[in-house]
Amino acid sequence: MNWPHKDLIAIQNLTADEIGHVLDMASSFKEISKRDIKKVPTLRGKTVVLLFYEPSTRTRLSFEIAAKRLSADTVALSASGSSFSKGETIMDAAYNVMAMAPDCIVIRYPSAGIPAKMAELLSCSVINGGDGFHEHPTQALLDMYSLKEHFGRIEGLTVAIVGDIMHSRVARSNVYGLVKMGASVVLVAPKTLLPPGVESWGASVTHELDPVIPEADAVMMLRVQNERLNERFFSDAREYSIFYGLNRKRVEMMKDGAVIMHPGPMNRGVEITHDAADSARSIILDQVENGVAVRMTLLYLSMGGTANVD
Amino acid sequence: MTDIAVSEKELEGILRDLAGRVMEAMESWHDVVFIGIRSGGFLLAGNVVRRIQEKIGKAVPLGALDIALYRDDVHRRPFSLEVRSTDIPFSVNDKKVILVDDVISTGRSVRAAIDHIVDLGRPKRIYLMVLFDRGGRELPIQADFVGKHVDLPDEKVIKLEAGPDNVSIKDVVVSEVKK
Repeated sequence: MNWPHKDLIAIQNLTADEIGHVLDMASSFKEISKRDIKKVPTLRGKTVVLLFYEPSTRTRLSFEIAAKRLSADTVALSASGSSFSKGETIMDAAYNVMAMAPDCIVIRYPSAGIPAKMAELLSCSVINGGDGFHEHPTQALLDMYSLKEHFGRIEGLTVAIVGDIMHSRVARSNVYGLVKMGASVVLVAPKTLLPPGVESWGASVTHELDPVIPEADAVMMLRVQNERLNERFFSDAREYSIFYGLNRKRVEMMKDGAVIMHPGPMNRGVEITHDAADSARSIILDQVENGVAVRMTLLYLSMGGTANVD
Repeated sequence: MTDIAVSEKELEGILRDLAGRVMEAMESWHDVVFIGIRSGGFLLAGNVVRRIQEKIGKAVPLGALDIALYRDDVHRRPFSLEVRSTDIPFSVNDKKVILVDDVISTGRSVRAAIDHIVDLGRPKRIYLMVLFDRGGRELPIQADFVGKHVDLPDEKVIKLEAGPDNVSIKDVVVSEVKK
């Protein structure tokens, strides 16, 4: 299959076949990380710039390791400590970075739409590392890869996504992707944490966690962002944890073979307890491991051929 | 337009001959491994290894190599090549590796394969086996075991096709390259 995309901005832009192609190819890239010499020469001479306007540990490290294992050079810039904090607009910053001839820019930005705008205006590949409440496509692809690796399929699985759906780009990207791949998705959240229009996403929506738990093949917990605690979306962390947290009792209600997922970073004691996070059902660290393979695949696909380069 | 480069009978003779020549060249089998380049080379390697195993009565390790990530034309092709998995279930350190490809021409695939193998370890020696040598080398690389020398115009490609069992060679197909 030919990969017709210069950029990766949103799962919404990908077809089910394209998602399947990424997931198939990622296992080949995963093997590289198991070698003694964890490096292939494929993207030698390519430069990948990581522009992170929001804090990130996993995503940034994962992209950087992925690029380096493909022999690309990486430069990471974060908003603090750079002149981005001096008031330069994001597009000025992007043109300045572009003047230094990178082949790919991975961008994380606090508001939606900036990666798409950059992709439109810049000749290099642009990969969305998370934009506002819009999408986090590489996270969804690594989540789908982890599900496929564990169950051998995605079609027919029931995936519960639990927590702050409103503010979660991870939830959006996962819903779009999982629905395209034939899974049924159940969103579980208090009314205050569901965005308007959520009914149109193709997932079912409920406010009660307990009836969903025994039905789900995978329970994906979303992080409760600490800053939301003060915004009165729910009364307090303790109450949230009682109604929407994954604890030992709920883990015991899960069906045989079902798995626990979390995109990280976890707030232990709020949306997930130690019992749940460290249980044998958890594939949370597999998700992190698979993130490198999936991002290697995407960097390769975006930069590998001449058709994507102007 | 397609035609068959060799008959079934001739192919059987070539495979037996290749197996025979490797057996002559190897003094012992404890450190010999076969690595086939996906997909034609791996198919060929499987067929040669099977014939050797029948003769010597013991298992000879066989691995598959995908060289897409080591090619020198990654950025010259319009799209990224399909990447399939490298699957080598043994260490190559201090082994005699018989690297197998279906066809050698420019030698660039073999260069990529050698680079890939040395990333996996340090073999004692790498031999090269091919079914067809069609000339046209662009790198100083020669095969140790050649099934047949063929003379074909540049626009023709040779491809091995697997049988329904995915193990035997059903056909050797020569076709016009798509421009």
